[in-house]
Amino acid sequence: MTAVLSTHGLIARYGDFQALYGVDTELHPGEAVALIGANGAGKSTFLRSIMGLLPVAKEMVRLDGEPVGGTATDRMVQKGIAIVPEGRRLFTGMSVEDNLRVAIDQAARIGAKGGWTLSRLHKLFPILAEKARSQVQSLSGGQQQMVAIGRALLCQPRVLLCDEISLGLAPKVIREIYAALPEIRAAGTAMIVVEQDVGLAQSASDRLYCMLEGRVTLTGKSGDVTREQIGKAYFGASHGVV
Amino acid sequence: MSAVSYAATAVPEVQVQRQTPSGRIAMTLALAGIVAVAVMPWWASTGTIRSILVLCCYIAVAQMWNLLAGYAGLVSVGQQAFMGAAGYALFVLAQTFGINPFLAVFLSLLVPAVLAVPLYLLLHRLDGPYFSIGTWVVAEVFRLVCSNLPIVNAGAGMSLRVMKDYSAFERNVAMSWLCAGMLLLTVGGSYWLLRSRYGLALIAMRDNPVAAASQGVNVAKLRFLIYVASAVGCGLAGAIYFMAQLRITPGSAFDPMWANVAIFIVMVGGIGSIEGVLIGALIFFIADRWFGAYGATYFVVLGLMTLLVALYARTGIWGLISKRWDAPWFPIRRKLVDPNRP
Amino acid sequence: MEWFDALVQGILLGGMYAQYALGMALMFGVMRIVNISHGDLVILLSLIGISMATAWGLAPVSVLIILVPLAVLMGWVLQKAVLNRVVGSDPLPSLIATFGLSIALQNLMLQIWSANSRSLPGHGIESQSIEIAGVYVGVLPLIVLAVATALTWGLDIVLKHTRFGRALRAASADVEAASMTGINPRAVYALATAVAVGILGFAAVFQSLRSTVAPADGPAQLIYAFEAVIIGGMGAVWGAFLGSMVLGIAQAIGFRIDPGFGVLAGHLVFLFVLATRPQGLFGKATT
Repeated sequence: MTAVLSTHGLIARYGDFQALYGVDTELHPGEAVALIGANGAGKSTFLRSIMGLLPVAKEMVRLDGEPVGGTATDRMVQKGIAIVPEGRRLFTGMSVEDNLRVAIDQAARIGAKGGWTLSRLHKLFPILAEKARSQVQSLSGGQQQMVAIGRALLCQPRVLLCDEISLGLAPKVIREIYAALPEIRAAGTAMIVVEQDVGLAQSASDRLYCMLEGRVTLTGKSGDVTREQIGKAYFGASHGVV
Repeated sequence: MSAVSYAATAVPEVQVQRQTPSGRIAMTLALAGIVAVAVMPWWASTGTIRSILVLCCYIAVAQMWNLLAGYAGLVSVGQQAFMGAAGYALFVLAQTFGINPFLAVFLSLLVPAVLAVPLYLLLHRLDGPYFSIGTWVVAEVFRLVCSNLPIVNAGAGMSLRVMKDYSAFERNVAMSWLCAGMLLLTVGGSYWLLRSRYGLALIAMRDNPVAAASQGVNVAKLRFLIYVASAVGCGLAGAIYFMAQLRITPGSAFDPMWANVAIFIVMVGGIGSIEGVLIGALIFFIADRWFGAYGATYFVVLGLMTLLVALYARTGIWGLISKRWDAPWFPIRRKLVDPNRP
Repeated sequence: MEWFDALVQGILLGGMYAQYALGMALMFGVMRIVNISHGDLVILLSLIGISMATAWGLAPVSVLIILVPLAVLMGWVLQKAVLNRVVGSDPLPSLIATFGLSIALQNLMLQIWSANSRSLPGHGIESQSIEIAGVYVGVLPLIVLAVATALTWGLDIVLKHTRFGRALRAASADVEAASMTGINPRAVYALATAVAVGILGFAAVFQSLRSTVAPADGPAQLIYAFEAVIIGGMGAVWGAFLGSMVLGIAQAIGFRIDPGFGVLAGHLVFLFVLATRPQGLFGKATT
């Protein structure tokens, strides 16, 4: 089975600072992959490089086998990749509905079909229907995260990248949001979930990658990897087990 | 990111090297140039002195703009406000109140200094590009106020008749010394500032104001000080320029042409460097002599050149030169040298 | 009565300024760019319109019909050739580029049309007036105000309820997030500038009908537009509109006090607003 999305020796830098040192990953259709690692391990950089937000060589990112590295972000969205960015990045000053409509507009413009509609999204997150007219900045953190996920889904992606969607949220809200992921996967969307909480990441994914200082240090089936393996991969060999 | 323990490694004995061979040569030439300007009456005609005075004003105004835009990130298109304000102050002090004009030049600098403080407090509230248009409005306000103010003879302008009390030679000597002093203050002062402990902060601020602030640079205070300093520097250029002109009107005193000149010189020469200002001023000065007669066409070319530099060569001529040869005229970097290693 | 008259004249003058200010507010809102050649473009369009009217004997309406599409095209070219290369968090490149363009345009116009003041022949409409509540009001200024109101209203509707409007608001809120939603920022910018300069097509016709234009007039129009935007605040289009009214009224009343004081009164109101309410009269305080 060919990967829907893969990276090949992905290297990324911010100016003089190199953040990724040859990252190889692959994501198969309908699969959920978790990406774990400490702060600064390069997880967000990895997602940003895929989205064309950092300059990378063309061959380093492939979509359905076609080299797409460094393609402009809006073109990547058109090709079927959407991201729930770190910090949510909603359009402040606009209502919940308008935030979602921006994605609907663009999907309609390019004729993208994926089956996500406003009413289906409202079934997934009923609160969004209730708050449709509210300005996004007036919402709670969890509700804002739902808008961010909804916005990404309405781009009709085949691949969804989620960057720390649990960050700063209460445990109850996190459970609520993660409960929606199976439904999204059921629609055939493959996912890369970046997550700090290792347990959460393991339960929400088929496979996982662990990153340390810009490199992949561990990969395997989420159910198979042990705490010891993750501890080593997470902190580096010298630190031993947590 | 991993922490490295520095205590474990032996710190080598290093010396901080500030000067370079190219810098020594340039410093010698610059000092010789300033001396040559100071003794102009003994080697140059009155016409030449006037031309060089204009060149000195270009350099001073451009360097002040360079400090503002190139280091403090404050893009002003209204520095003529301070040139005109000091020029008018000089005329009022010397002509109306009979103060010695050569003393009045220095007294007149108080006006831009005092005006710059409240103006900065007002203008810094404007976001990025709006700040620039705000500085222009201020210059327009000054022009309109002077056009309506009886003490400066309103729209008709003023003449500096008291200068007739001095012989042509005396005037030339005074002008030459003032020019030399102005170069020393604006160019030399900037160099001193950039080499001082504020210099590192300024360069950090130029490269990334947010990062500089997080490293403990008081960006707001530094910007304020630069704004006031630049107002005084422009004021000095204005006072000297209009003293030589012997006449000032609201239109000439607050002429946006000066913003034009400063921007062209700095952008073409190379922003964020003293070398760039000298190169740009020389190019503009020569171009002005050669092509100034073409009037509008000349300004079309000047405008397009400014546009093209902003689009394709933001570091200007000095940027292109320094990319190829590492030979700064005014070195400000600190280089660590290990004397034990040849 | 005299002051009431000044107030009415000020509002009518504000209608003219609103036509400059809308485009500036739009461009700054979405790109954080101030186009220093904003006023020069009005003058350029005016002079082109006047030349066309004289050469072919066109009526003002025909000039408007030709000028607005031309202005839209100019805006689009300006964005593609210049502004797309300088848009970014550093304000310097865009300021310098448009400053250079402004100098070049002013002097180019000086060469083509000379320094003389010209105006668009209005075939009598410019001298008609009607009496409202004891005050004589020019028909042309009333049309200008009506068009300004319609443009503001129309732009507001477009921003609130169309695909382009939502994309533009999204890009002004967070351009990177907008691109993550499939928006091509450059396409949005090009449209925004095309609309902004397109509105200047209207301004050009009315400016040259109401009074005269000369190649050196651009900077004054730029400054009025800027002052209106800052006085109004509010970010959106109605702020620019109301700011224009305040500026117009300030100038008209200042002019009644002393003819040399009119423009200065506008500047002083601007500085006063900046000192007391930097977010603008109708703006909400941010952060």
